[in-house]
Amino acid sequence: MTSKDVHRPHDSSVCDSAKLADNSEDEGDDSDTGSTGSASSYSQSDYSDDLEPEWLDDVQKNGELFYLELSEGEEEAALAHAGALQGLPTNHVRFSDKEAEVITDGGKHKEKGKAEHKLKKLAKILRKKRPSQRRAEGSWGAGSGGQAHPPHPTSILKNQVGQRPGVVVQQRLLKEVYVYLNPKRLGSCSPPLGKGGLLEALVGLVHRPAWGKGEGGGVGQQEERLTVHGLVPSSPAIKCAQILIGDVLVAVDDVDVTSENIERVLSCIPGPMQETASCRLLYRGPLPTGLARPEGGRHPAALWGDPESRRVQRSQLVKLLWGGDAVELQMSIGHVPHIVMYLTLRLDSESSREDQEILYQYPVSEASLQLKGVRGIFLTLCDMLENVTGGQIISSSLLLSKQLVHVGYWKDGDNLLVLGLPAERVPLLHLKTVIGGVVRTLRVMYGSLDRAFCESENGPRLDHFFCLLFQQLIQPSRLSDSPGAPPPDASSTLFLDGLPAVRWLTLPPEIKVEIDTVLSDFESSDFGEMSEDFFGMRRLYVTLGSCLFYKGYLIANHLAKEDLLDVSLYCQHYCLLPLACEQRIGQLVIWREVFPQRRATPGPRAAGGLLRAPGPLLPPHRGTGRLSVCPVCPVVPPQRHFMQCVLLEAGGCAAPAVGVQGPDCVYVDQVKATLLQLEGLDGGIEERLATPPAPCLSCADWFLPAGRDAVASSPVFGRLAGAVKAPSPAGRRGLFGEAAASLRGRRPSPQRSLSDSGSEGPGDGRRDSLGSGASDGSAGSGGLFKIPRKKHPNPFYLGTLKKSLTERETEDMYNTMK
Amino acid sequence: MCAMLQAGSLHLLCLTASSGVPLFSRGVSRQLPFSVIGSLNGVHMFGGGQGAVLSCCETDSGGRVVWKVFQESVMLIAVNGEQGGAVDDFQLRRLLENTWNCMVLVLGQDELVNARNVERLKRDLRSCYRLIDLFLEGAGDGMGDLTHCADCLLVPQPGPLQEALDTFTQASESEFGCLLVHGKVVVATEKWWRLAPQEVVLLSALVRTFSGSSSCDHPVFLPQGSPTVPLRLLRFQLLPGADLCVLCGPAPSLQTAESQLVARFWCPLVETLRGCLALSGRCLPGSVKLHGDVLGLLLINRESRRAVSTVTPGDTPPGRPRPARCRELLRLFYVFAATRYLGPEEAGVPGERRQGDPLEEDFTLGFSHQPLQCYLVTEECKLFGLQTPQHQLYLLMPVSVPTFALRSLATRTLSALTSSTGF
Repeated sequence: MTSKDVHRPHDSSVCDSAKLADNSEDEGDDSDTGSTGSASSYSQSDYSDDLEPEWLDDVQKNGELFYLELSEGEEEAALAHAGALQGLPTNHVRFSDKEAEVITDGGKHKEKGKAEHKLKKLAKILRKKRPSQRRAEGSWGAGSGGQAHPPHPTSILKNQVGQRPGVVVQQRLLKEVYVYLNPKRLGSCSPPLGKGGLLEALVGLVHRPAWGKGEGGGVGQQEERLTVHGLVPSSPAIKCAQILIGDVLVAVDDVDVTSENIERVLSCIPGPMQETASCRLLYRGPLPTGLARPEGGRHPAALWGDPESRRVQRSQLVKLLWGGDAVELQMSIGHVPHIVMYLTLRLDSESSREDQEILYQYPVSEASLQLKGVRGIFLTLCDMLENVTGGQIISSSLLLSKQLVHVGYWKDGDNLLVLGLPAERVPLLHLKTVIGGVVRTLRVMYGSLDRAFCESENGPRLDHFFCLLFQQLIQPSRLSDSPGAPPPDASSTLFLDGLPAVRWLTLPPEIKVEIDTVLSDFESSDFGEMSEDFFGMRRLYVTLGSCLFYKGYLIANHLAKEDLLDVSLYCQHYCLLPLACEQRIGQLVIWREVFPQRRATPGPRAAGGLLRAPGPLLPPHRGTGRLSVCPVCPVVPPQRHFMQCVLLEAGGCAAPAVGVQGPDCVYVDQVKATLLQLEGLDGGIEERLATPPAPCLSCADWFLPAGRDAVASSPVFGRLAGAVKAPSPAGRRGLFGEAAASLRGRRPSPQRSLSDSGSEGPGDGRRDSLGSGASDGSAGSGGLFKIPRKKHPNPFYLGTLKKSLTERETEDMYNTMK
Repeated sequence: MCAMLQAGSLHLLCLTASSGVPLFSRGVSRQLPFSVIGSLNGVHMFGGGQGAVLSCCETDSGGRVVWKVFQESVMLIAVNGEQGGAVDDFQLRRLLENTWNCMVLVLGQDELVNARNVERLKRDLRSCYRLIDLFLEGAGDGMGDLTHCADCLLVPQPGPLQEALDTFTQASESEFGCLLVHGKVVVATEKWWRLAPQEVVLLSALVRTFSGSSSCDHPVFLPQGSPTVPLRLLRFQLLPGADLCVLCGPAPSLQTAESQLVARFWCPLVETLRGCLALSGRCLPGSVKLHGDVLGLLLINRESRRAVSTVTPGDTPPGRPRPARCRELLRLFYVFAATRYLGPEEAGVPGERRQGDPLEEDFTLGFSHQPLQCYLVTEECKLFGLQTPQHQLYLLMPVSVPTFALRSLATRTLSALTSSTGF
């Protein structure tokens, strides 16, 4: 059962965590937002892990927080894999004799994430400011080629190769090394920033300027090359095992570095961000001769490497949640017609702007442009059908260049929400569920559709929201872990997503009682000397209730039914439930204002009218709650699958709610503490997850001869085959582990996962005899890989097959497949 | 808001596709205003110009609009008002197809596609109103409009009738002959069965629209077989409700055929014909015993594209649906099962249909295999659908039948029907 756990690529004994945060929802500078909220007393300079939570920097101006952190083990595994990928033909940079081809598949240059912007900007600034630097580049080139040339523009590579064909061979000596850097680590271990500076402290490279004197001997010795004279033990540089003494550091990310600007460049790495947390250090490659490096190939060429290749391995889902580089994913579905538009039916006849009726639109791709072009249809139909048939339009279908596209409608006052999706991905029945879910989630998040779509600052957030939505609907396979896997079973995903319910795991009474007690303790808000009562203050929030998820299953709920639906819809739209199944999460803290729909509907607690009132600056008031999601505990590594969602009410009977309020450290810490308390219970929950289904379940397909072939080509085997196909030795383990992880993530029920693991596991004698008819099944997995022991489990014996794969067994299977 | 269409009303609009001139509008309720007709057409035209062909839309109260353009010349729009029960997309699409076929049958494709004078076309189209209205109202007690299979009436001994029909058709210098009782095919020549199933359905419907006892000679175009060259349909009423049809060329005049041939071949068979008329309610020979709990059934022969449908007659005990309602339930269940599970009977090879009509969303996409049986339990009745390579059987039963017994009841009914009638 716990094959994933066993195969965790890196043991999580690393106590420090990589901190990666989403800042996609905020265009502004982080340092501004850090001072908002209740934790404003901490200043940036108080840099201590004890006092300041990691997520504080990421709190937005409006007090919202979405903070996601990977465990360091995961991060480094991803980098190691990416390093191995460099040698693959899939690499995006290729050299030919004359010129470098940069193979782009569609606009990759543009798709830098927002988090990268700062460094990009910096690079530009540096280039502008440094005419001398450019000259230095040129002169380096001249030093070897004996030919001076004007300063280079940005595309170093092209000039380099074009002008100096002679050094092409030497370019192989350039290597790109990805090093995982975490500037925040400096704060804790704080080595003396002595003469080595950041280069030594952060990267772990020793460079002694004096040693290099006289080596190059050319012009521009003010800015010296950064020859590696030594490596700091247990530093990122030595960990990556690719930097050798004698190498020359040429560029960090895309910025050329010399001894003059290296400190500046490194100091600008803005904290543990996604993009910049791992710097691409560019080295001149090692010569096999050893430590003493000859003086060859001193051209400072930089590879214009594609950052995508590095990130191939990292889960697309995590990437999406970070919001960094959705563009690539979005590009890949650019040809699929899909659109969301918020249109107004109240047209101003005077203003003649062409698209005045569009209040919001996403995405802007070619196929969606066509749908945008026919928005007149949607508006007219909405208007007319009400008169003709007396009902509100809910859907229409149209053929868009031979492809059937379903369009769902939701009329809200004078405005109309239109959601168009291709029929082959989203059947009409499901589309109605989808649009209902979208509307409800948006109402939970923003109070009303008008407020969500009409306030301009919500634009980027909505983009992110709908990007996630479309990715989930159109290419769910891309969000799972293994690249190149066949699309998962669409019908089962549709079925599970469409259920108006949360998947629930029943627990043995003693565990249930214990969990409920822990949750109740938390909900009583009796935080001892941390609570407001202790200081005689009014409470900031009233805890309305909380619910607890384990690996995507609801295990305890103290929320009202409607509130639970609100919370789970939010979690579903932000993929938090599948996310919690993967073990890669270090910490996830979400804090945001929500508008529970239970209260929005007019009733005895008539806060509804206020909530729906439009207005640009609606302060949180009576009836708005704050949702704090704090799923995992950063300190206890082994089991990090708990996710607790807490609904807090601001401005109820407690203190009046004034203005925007950021996350409250005390409450978040208390949630963390609650989760810590629960850590001990995961054994019992795991056991419950692993128990056989009470009536034995099996797939009807296994009884049919035709069905067996279908099983053979099922996503499970396809994934396994796809995973093994990756030829990198370093990546295999990780890939396999993740294939298993995604398999877990997709399972519709514990029972189903049981059968999956049964069909995957090595067959024992009993099944050998019964499953012999299916030995031709490997045709489905591409023929490249024969999995000799692949057998279909006998459906009658499923109940006894619940044993999990032990380490040895998975190892065995792994070897067989190799 | 007061809807323009009354509840449950079905409306059919016909316009020229290029200019949007309304040709006719049929429906039980009052006319839709011209502006609405114009916008319904305009929306489609606008989308067509932008490369997006609108096909249907649906409202929360069950209202539905379906558009379709035929031969790039005639636009047909079906509008269903609210609360009309669940009228499925499939039903409206079939209605549009049938309407177009009716128009071709009566006027010929050339007339419709290359209409020079719209006013004249409008006048000419009046002659199809009766036929179109028949389909709009649900084609009487048949199911052919939905199933596109010829509704048949099974007689105990078809031999003499078949023989008489074959010789009569030969004598009329034709190969296409058919004997209809209340619009249901009793016997037909081999060539008649080779017509496209829709055409057989259409000709049966056309004969039903003929009133009076007189024989008639009606020019028809066959939508598939000869959409541009008219043929003559000779119809003779043998007995009230029993019609004899022959499709022929110019050769025998109506008078010749009626005076010389009809009496000669059919007078000896009058008693047999009377026996057929007596069966017309049930459509099955009396020798076939159905289980008492079978309220209605629809049996389709997938190879020959013929269908038999029957509901138990009037005197139902309380608590059971009336016959008319039974027929409606059976039709709804056919639409439900055919669009989702069993597939319309023209499916043939399962994979091929999927490329057929891009407008039809494939419900079965998620299935890895072809469903063979399905059942539906409602508050009103229980229904069971069964599919074999040769047959489809849809069975309507009262709620009192235990659900686990549905399957055995259905299989037994199917074997009883096929063995005793050879259908």
